[in-house]
Amino acid sequence: MSKEKLTPMQLDLLRELGNIGAGNATSALSIMLQDRKLEMVVPEVAILSLPETTTLIGGPEALVAGIYILVSGDVDGHVAFMMPIHSAQELVQSILGVESVEFDEMGCSVLEEVGNIVVTSYLNALSEMTNLVLRPSVPGLAIDMAGAIWSSILAGAEIFDDYITVLKTDFASEGKQIEGHILLIPGKIGFDRIFKILLETDR
Amino acid sequence: MAEIFVNMGEIKVAAGDDVLITVGLGSCVGVALYDRENKVGGMAHVFLAASKDGRSNEQPGKFADTAIPALLEAVVRAGGRRNLLIAKIAGGANLFPKLSQASLNVGMQNVAAVKEYLAAHKLPLRGEDVGGSIGRKMILYVESGKVMVQSIGSEPKEI
Repeated sequence: MSKEKLTPMQLDLLRELGNIGAGNATSALSIMLQDRKLEMVVPEVAILSLPETTTLIGGPEALVAGIYILVSGDVDGHVAFMMPIHSAQELVQSILGVESVEFDEMGCSVLEEVGNIVVTSYLNALSEMTNLVLRPSVPGLAIDMAGAIWSSILAGAEIFDDYITVLKTDFASEGKQIEGHILLIPGKIGFDRIFKILLETDR
Repeated sequence: MAEIFVNMGEIKVAAGDDVLITVGLGSCVGVALYDRENKVGGMAHVFLAASKDGRSNEQPGKFADTAIPALLEAVVRAGGRRNLLIAKIAGGANLFPKLSQASLNVGMQNVAAVKEYLAAHKLPLRGEDVGGSIGRKMILYVESGKVMVQSIGSEPKEI
């Protein structure tokens, strides 16, 4: 995708999608956190060069937890839920009601499941809005350098172009230091198909 | 001494006591190519195995097939002697082994492609730290020709 390809209307539509998806995802998350309020930042549609994308999540060397889910069905795509490692710890501690947590097998499986719920809630909202079948894969979890996780996801998505479109939503919780990013990358036919359907339903 | 960072898809060269660094290698492969005698080196951060048509695009460093010849050319232009060059590589991991769909094992494909193009250009591969499911950081100390690889939670090691 070239840098100028999206029209203002398409950008608005994407932001709207991001809003609804992330709204659903954050409410699922705040239920898991026993109704702690989560604040959502207005979704951002970023058209970025490859190296720029690594700065989305705190620089390539930042230690993060990344949950990655492949989307298939009517459109294909890739969704990542990335959190700074301290946020991931805080989140799992809050959910389990414990003072400290290790990312051993148990900690990882809790985190994986949280990520799974967040991402599938996000996708469900998108699916309801567009009437598209969006089938999530099982979640994959990696705790590593942000750049390593993110570049692996992009490479898996086979991004050949110099610029990519990323739909990004950030959220943060009141009080506790929990922040995260949900990132959606369309597959080869992804966004075009979504635009067509949304424009039709608008009329 | 300058620390020069090589981002995803980039190729950079350095000389003397400069240090070339690439971080966040997941399925990507970092390629260090250097001439220890003349203290000239270059580094590429390869993202995918093959460009769509084999021709260079805006960023030849993104793909193994275009990155290796471009890296070679850049190092030679900076004063490296072709017959003295040696290569070391790191990366090519699979960070999500559970999602073991064929298209996701980009890491192994990248490693294979980088090795293939190094061999095609008669560039000897003298060290590697590839595969597994961990991210890596790669550092080339141009002056000594030392290549270090580091992962989260482990000590740097020389390859």
